[in-house]
Amino acid sequence: MSEAAGDLNLERLLTDALRPVDPPADLSTRVESTLSAIAEQAAAQLSSWADELSEGELEALRDPRNWVRPVAAVAVGGAAAGALVLVEMRRRRRPSGFRETTGRLLRELR
Amino acid sequence: MSEEDERNPPEAGAAAPVSKAELDRAFEDLYRAHLRDVYSYAYYRVGNHHDAEDLTEQAFLQAYRHFERARRESNGRPLRPWLIRIAHNLASNYHRDRARKPTANIEAVEPPSHPHATERVVEGREELREVIERLDELPEDRREALIMRFALGMSNREIARALGRTDGATKVLIHRAIKQLEELMTHE
Repeated sequence: MSEAAGDLNLERLLTDALRPVDPPADLSTRVESTLSAIAEQAAAQLSSWADELSEGELEALRDPRNWVRPVAAVAVGGAAAGALVLVEMRRRRRPSGFRETTGRLLRELR
Repeated sequence: MSEEDERNPPEAGAAAPVSKAELDRAFEDLYRAHLRDVYSYAYYRVGNHHDAEDLTEQAFLQAYRHFERARRESNGRPLRPWLIRIAHNLASNYHRDRARKPTANIEAVEPPSHPHATERVVEGREELREVIERLDELPEDRREALIMRFALGMSNREIARALGRTDGATKVLIHRAIKQLEELMTHE
């Protein structure tokens, strides 16, 4: 390497030209806080996994993305119940049995 | 003990299984010991402080994610080449993503000030500026090797590990880089 550098003393020039650059003070703080945040996040995740399942379920219920299925289920169930009530009402309006036979006979006699 | 080991003693307890807290402490030590190296490398690769800061931060975040494995696989060897390799890959991505030269390339890098006598400072700074300009004309791998060698003071073996080359190939790379730089300087 030294022969190649020759009279120029290129190695000395390179050492002077490419001196280490000190990072700005706030970079150190920035990186450290990011790393701390990641470490805390990871620790929190680990501890939450270790918690009871019900805690996780409650957390899931608080997430609006998980509300679609229950809402859809309530809507479908509501519609089915409504249809049943309607059928029952129609059924009640229509006379049946002895009363129906008597009524029909009376109508025919008239 | 090899040249590399003398410069960078093995990471303490690197091979032993450790707790998360111990791992975090070890990473903190690594970070404090090599922040300046990673930043210097990033600065000379991207040519400006803003992007160098981002690149340094990304490098340490990546390093943190893979630290446990790297430590296990290093067999006690220094982790600086691994860190610089991460920074090297990020810098390559940086240039590829932009598909152009750095916003302020290495030519725009101002030579650092020196504690010399006044007349020597003026004369010396011109010389240094020329070195930096010529350095930018070298192929990327040669320029990188010189940055690692002179800005970071890395040994040939460390540079070889950071660049994923053999020790012999790295020695040749550095030799050729200096020879080419000398030619550029003298045939101006």
